[in-house]
Amino acid sequence: MKRRSFLKAALAFLGATTAASFVYPLFRFLVPPPRQKKVNSLVIAKRDVPLGDAKEIVFGGIPAIVVNRPGKGLIALSRVCTHLGCLVQYDQENKRLLCPCHAGVYDLEGNIVSGPPPKPLTKLPLKVEGETIVIG
Amino acid sequence: MRYVVLSLLMIVGLPTLSSAGYQEDFAREFLSKTWAGERIEENACIDCHSSDQMKPEFREITDDWKKSWHAQNNISCQDCHGGDPKDPSLSMTHQRGFVGTPSAREIPQFCGKCHIGILKNYLESGHGKALRATGKGPHCAVCHGSHNIQRATIDIINEQRCSKCHTYERAKVMKQALFLVEKRAEDIEDGLKALRRAGIYPADQERALYNTLVEFRTLFHTVDVKLVNERTGEFTLKMGAIENNIQETLDELRTHRDFSAFLMSLFGGMGILFFLLSRTPKQ
Amino acid sequence: MWERLTNWLEVRIGVDDLVRSQVTEYRVPKNINIFYTLGFVAAVGYLIQVVTGILLLVYYVPHPDHAFRSVQDIMVKVPFGWLFRQMHVMGSNLMIAAILLHMLTVFAMGNYKRPRELTWIGGALLLFVAIAFGFSGYLLPWTQLSYWATTVVTSIPTAVPVVGDFVARLLRGGDQVTGATLSRFFAFHVSILPPLFLILAGVHLFLIKRIGISATPFGLPAEEKRPWTEYHKKSHADGYPYYPRFFQMDMLMVMVYLAVMFLLITFLPNLFFPPDATIPANPLKTPATIRPEWYLLAPYQLLKIIPNKFLGILIQIVLFLLFLFWPFFDTEKEKNIMNRPMLRVLFIFGFILWLILMYWGRS
Repeated sequence: MKRRSFLKAALAFLGATTAASFVYPLFRFLVPPPRQKKVNSLVIAKRDVPLGDAKEIVFGGIPAIVVNRPGKGLIALSRVCTHLGCLVQYDQENKRLLCPCHAGVYDLEGNIVSGPPPKPLTKLPLKVEGETIVIG
Repeated sequence: MRYVVLSLLMIVGLPTLSSAGYQEDFAREFLSKTWAGERIEENACIDCHSSDQMKPEFREITDDWKKSWHAQNNISCQDCHGGDPKDPSLSMTHQRGFVGTPSAREIPQFCGKCHIGILKNYLESGHGKALRATGKGPHCAVCHGSHNIQRATIDIINEQRCSKCHTYERAKVMKQALFLVEKRAEDIEDGLKALRRAGIYPADQERALYNTLVEFRTLFHTVDVKLVNERTGEFTLKMGAIENNIQETLDELRTHRDFSAFLMSLFGGMGILFFLLSRTPKQ
Repeated sequence: MWERLTNWLEVRIGVDDLVRSQVTEYRVPKNINIFYTLGFVAAVGYLIQVVTGILLLVYYVPHPDHAFRSVQDIMVKVPFGWLFRQMHVMGSNLMIAAILLHMLTVFAMGNYKRPRELTWIGGALLLFVAIAFGFSGYLLPWTQLSYWATTVVTSIPTAVPVVGDFVARLLRGGDQVTGATLSRFFAFHVSILPPLFLILAGVHLFLIKRIGISATPFGLPAEEKRPWTEYHKKSHADGYPYYPRFFQMDMLMVMVYLAVMFLLITFLPNLFFPPDATIPANPLKTPATIRPEWYLLAPYQLLKIIPNKFLGILIQIVLFLLFLFWPFFDTEKEKNIMNRPMLRVLFIFGFILWLILMYWGRS
């Protein structure tokens, strides 16, 4: 009888441990990741980006570029090429973004013009507030 | 029975009705797309060049290409030579933009159609200047070959190749400057392989490594030892970050293993207890 | 408080009677053996698949552009996502193994015989549903392995004249394996197969309860050999009560099942992830070796070695029907396979052939 109750107690203990070992992972699994530290919005002066020109920035760890397009206004795009992750460069003459690795070409909306990229460049949110440009 | 028929009609009918206008888009966008680019089943270039009528040295081209890094990445004849692989009769005409064998002077532009970053640095380098001046300098194919092009490694710099034109001394210094970063890159490749073996597709790390290496190799095409040495620190730093990232993932896998082993022993323990319990009479 | 609750329940649904009739006084044959637990183990295995499957649904995205990435994120980024995915993957294989072992032992003990023909058919159908689960789930991670294995397997019906092409198109939702295939396999996997499985399992269980558990043929006289003219339930009045004796056996085997599952996750985490399973699907690049899951290897190899594809499929269909309706082909009254040399030879021969084909299909 003693052995029996010992076995039962041991089983209850292991069973409870097992249950706990699944409840904790389940909890962690379902809980969303902690709120990301809000990436501070980046402020640059409007005069830093004259018409037709562009300015390279780093926003939240992502290399990006702000382009002042004649007639179409400002746009902020990630510089990370969607092909293999090289950084695209602004080609002022031809009004396009060019990836130096495999000649992926994007227009100034971030859309693919030619070359191997599978997806358009990521757009970053951008606001103009008076004389400053706020990204993020 | 009536209700069954009615509800079946509703289940089948409603979605059909509501999706009627969507059908065409659905068929075009979804049903027929293979999700990874266009399938080219027939390629006139390869068909002719591998046939018996070709001269042996022309036939070798397709075999060489098939072994190349380009072939492994779906870069085919027309991507470099232009022309039209779908139309055998006009495939090699100038109307279709075909370029046969480029002259030595034309080669950098030929390869630079895609490798534009490297082209820029090459043209500014001693190598590039020599080619422009003499018309028979060291162009891309001299070091990298033409059709059987492999992934670039540090082994491309060797005494045999470099001393075709000049003494090896300076090239040796260059190789030493490159060695540190290249060695590190090899180690990272091994780490990536380990991750793959563990069932993880290290896309982010692979991209980071690729990016760093490409930048470094682009820089190398200036063949300017001073510049390479100056910037090596910057690259080793980036590589260190990738290495850390890989190590973290591998450590994480080890904790998975430990946790799983823990669960295994719990279930094993309970199994033993149930066994003992079944062997313990109730009195 | 507890007493009041049980009393409340007792008054309404008669818990005591339920426990007495279904657990403590539900009797199982005296000479029952450990293999009788395998059905229960398979049921628990299915339950694990349901729970882990629902958890995976929380993060999985059934779209060709995102499926691979979402599965990778489950493995790497989501806390303990790896645990539930690994349990699901290992579980899918172990559950099929448990069902196969269950059928093998039922076969060896002749327990499919009259009056349990329907129970056997239900079980065989459950095995096929389980395989359909495995096959449809195989595509969902959208890896090179899953993409090409699905391409190969869905092209098998094309060998059948007239309707073959249509069947293949129906399976793929188009001419090739595309996003449409992923969508329908996903729907199949999470919402069509589960109710089907539950219905079949319900029928299977009902039949076991209604007919009564069959005794092993070892050392006991087989059931009456006279013609079956009326229903009677086998209740084993002299047998052991289900609880605690047989319950402990059940639980012991469930623990073995789970321990094996975590043994594999600990020491062979990549058992079902060959290199091609860590590369996203690429319809332009055929991998060097394509092979389906281990339980489909034998039929796959059989198809490969028979030069005429249609003949190959015909043979498979005949084998399938033979397997499904086996109780009707085997009319011998003797249950114990040990007393039936011909059947024993057939059984061993079939099993070894299956193993050989499976091993052959690997390469």
